[in-house]
Amino acid sequence: MAQQLIDQFAARLPADRRAAVYQSTKTTHEKRTAMLFDQFAEPHRLRALAGGIKQHVLENLDTLLPAVEAKLQANGAQVHWAATAEAACAAVLRIMQARGATKLVKAKTMVSEEIALEHFLAAHGIEALETDLGEFIVQLDHDRPSHIVRPIIHKNRREIAQSFERHGLGAYDDDPQTITRRARQFLRQKYLQADVGLTGANFVSVESGRLVLVTNEGNSRFSLAAPKCHIALVGIEKLVPRDRDLGLLLNLLARSATAQQLTVYTEFITGPKAATQPDGPEELHVIFVDNGRTDVLASECRAILRCIRCGACMNVCPVYRQASGHAYRSVYPGPVGAVLSPLLAGKKFPELADLPKASSLCGACHEVCPVDIPIPDLLLRLRDQGKRAGAPLAAAGTPPMGAWALLASQPAAWKAALLGGKIINYLPTKLLPVPPLRAWEKSRTLPEWRGGEFRRWLRHRTTP
Amino acid sequence: MLNAERKPVTGKRVQLMATCLCDAFYDDVARATVEVLEHAGCTIDFPEGQTCCGQPALNGGDWAAARKVVRHTVRTFAGEDPVILPSGSCAAMLFHGAPLAFEHEPDLAAVEALGRRTWELLDFLVNGLGLTSWPGRYDARIALHRACHARGTGSLPAALTLLRSIRGVEVVEFGELEQCCGFGGTFSVAFPHISQAMGDLKLEHIRAARPDLLASVDMSCLMHLSGRAAHEGQPIKIRHVAQILRDALASA
Amino acid sequence: MSSDRDTILAGVRAALAPLAARAPLPDWDRDLVRVRTLQPAADPWARFAARLTAVNGTPLTAVADLVALLEKNQWRRGYCDPALWPQFQGAFPAHFTVETAFDRTRVDDYDFGLTAAAGAIAETGTLILTDRGTSSRLAALAPWVHIAVLRREQIYADISAALAALPDDPNVIWVTGPSKTADVEGILIEGVHGPGVQVALLQ
Ligand code: SF4
Repeated sequence: MAQQLIDQFAARLPADRRAAVYQSTKTTHEKRTAMLFDQFAEPHRLRALAGGIKQHVLENLDTLLPAVEAKLQANGAQVHWAATAEAACAAVLRIMQARGATKLVKAKTMVSEEIALEHFLAAHGIEALETDLGEFIVQLDHDRPSHIVRPIIHKNRREIAQSFERHGLGAYDDDPQTITRRARQFLRQKYLQADVGLTGANFVSVESGRLVLVTNEGNSRFSLAAPKCHIALVGIEKLVPRDRDLGLLLNLLARSATAQQLTVYTEFITGPKAATQPDGPEELHVIFVDNGRTDVLASECRAILRCIRCGACMNVCPVYRQASGHAYRSVYPGPVGAVLSPLLAGKKFPELADLPKASSLCGACHEVCPVDIPIPDLLLRLRDQGKRAGAPLAAAGTPPMGAWALLASQPAAWKAALLGGKIINYLPTKLLPVPPLRAWEKSRTLPEWRGGEFRRWLRHRTTP
Repeated sequence: MLNAERKPVTGKRVQLMATCLCDAFYDDVARATVEVLEHAGCTIDFPEGQTCCGQPALNGGDWAAARKVVRHTVRTFAGEDPVILPSGSCAAMLFHGAPLAFEHEPDLAAVEALGRRTWELLDFLVNGLGLTSWPGRYDARIALHRACHARGTGSLPAALTLLRSIRGVEVVEFGELEQCCGFGGTFSVAFPHISQAMGDLKLEHIRAARPDLLASVDMSCLMHLSGRAAHEGQPIKIRHVAQILRDALASA
Repeated sequence: MSSDRDTILAGVRAALAPLAARAPLPDWDRDLVRVRTLQPAADPWARFAARLTAVNGTPLTAVADLVALLEKNQWRRGYCDPALWPQFQGAFPAHFTVETAFDRTRVDDYDFGLTAAAGAIAETGTLILTDRGTSSRLAALAPWVHIAVLRREQIYADISAALAALPDDPNVIWVTGPSKTADVEGILIEGVHGPGVQVALLQ
């Protein structure tokens, strides 16, 4: 009975890495909580409202998607649809080829990670350069992001400085200021040479067709100031009904993600640049991406599609803090990933069926989620699904429950076991008869067995 | 289902579900629960056929097994009286977990009905019976662990209300109160490394506050933490809040 | 592409078909997101300036102060929105080099860019830029210092008020302080891709 993969990964994680992840997630979480509760009278009410708005969106996508499409087109955007990752990659390529474009700069978008766009474009001779500082460093190192908001939460400045040196970005200097300046200098030339700026969208308002992007670094602004074409990859769940709903969602997103009132840049985009504007895109392409989302929508876990990718659930998660993001073997780590990744995997669900097990079900993720997703309930549903699918990865380390359930539904047998269980007091640990108890005893002492004592007391006492 | 959707308490007859942990290891907690409830004027019925709430199977992912145990529990705790458990997580199993696992079952209504009259002990005393204080004296600095399944329920505020009203009790603050102890049922054996690391972190925070004892409304967290502490050769004293209330009565 | 559209919409319809009822759209009161710890100052500029300072931005009320700031840091090469040039021309000392056309082949030749703001949000210290109101996207972004020229009556009280009045413009940008990152070990660094110094100059 092997322990779970994520536990094995955590056990191998170098101590300094774990300490870095633990410290920065804890700090962000504490700042987030202090800010929300200082500034708002009813943060939990706000979370419930935001969750309600997003749930409404999900359950009305059949009408909202065509409505936003019409709005976007009226605003001058070209709308594309991609049912699969392959279709989404192909759509980007098609747009680029039509313009004879060969260079793309990319602001941080989770969807592009999901569809492995960079890899696909490289195979077609197109450079797709990450511009978010963290993502840029990940790309240099052929590494993978380990957090959805803080991609290099697992890296320290020494590793980054070494990598910059290796890639010709300057002699070793691990001052974060220097690292940032060097990336600034290198990347601004890349923006200016790029044909296409690719972004995601945090929200799309159905009412106005505005794409809303939030960033802190200014890389998405640059990606939309220098290149002549803008492509936005948008998951079909990103809609919000009205502009004013953004007041709720923007306030919650920035506080939940980075403990800011607002991120530094909030961009509202309705179309190609104004006629009087010398810089910026002449074309705006919006690609709506499904890539498994309609399947999630059809499942009982559809609430996970409310997610606004703030990262608060991973910052608070005690398992994420011990294991770090790469342990989840997927684009989305942490509690949100433990639900979303196996669902998006579709037929490959069994390969990620252990992820929903990686939780003590403590509920901290639900308590912080700005859109009030009941993550523990969804984890439970997926555990049931993993069990029914007979996924070996999900079963690892989990004691079988069938015999126990039989015992616990037969009072006479139960009582006998309560009395008979006394035997464990006299057994050395290694001879414990039950595997879970043996695993328990490796790192914890079991209390004395007192099976049946309470019932005996209750029977024999003189009732007051 | 939320525990807020429960039936208001009218009478003082209750059914006690001792929970499997108290049945097997912590008999004194069950005794304290009886004595505390009786002090609050309740008449207690202990259905002999009771076993377990089914939570290990639900959390372990075996819902078919969990439903089997829940059905047994529903049959065992028939009637209309409130069902009281000295455990936040077992109570949450009955009012939240079980209905989740029965969403598509024909007997959902019976499961929900049980959930609506299920209470964690402290929640029941304060929010069910309306107690606002507890008599007696208990001289101790107490670290109160927020058992995770009491999140969003009335249990932790209720425990604090009663504990703080007892003369001699000092509830001490400690770091990262909202964090889990790392038990998590089968999680503790399937994820031994992470579970242990979480437990050690919790113990570190608790020890830094130098309490006389560690209390909770859930014995599973305490079993994990005290088992870990004992294994490391640094045992800690643990008490269920019910035991503190019962012991305080001795000097009332 | 149309087939992907059909596939997705059919998938969505099929997914939603079993639902007995659809979740209604909740209504909510914008007072709920008003920051309670910020007392409404009598003067919107004062409130805005305090919030901008809190996010490390630089509120200024006099052109002389702006020139002093630029001079002190030797930021003497810049760009000025041609529409604002008549107004600022006399303010810059002779040893400043200020251009009214932004040359994208020389982005690093500009220490500062001066453009017009379309508004501001007092509650958050946010400047609002629009595409039609900004003479050059790059000039407002690439130089180390960005100066947004603001009028007092353009200041909205809070996010909800600014959302209610979102201009009809292809690219509205809310700027809340200098560009920043905490990607490297959580350490705050300002001036990543955008300005390291964000000035709001009250006209
Ligand atoms: S699930 Fe909730 S908390 Fe986690 S990233 Fe998504 S919105 Fe944030």
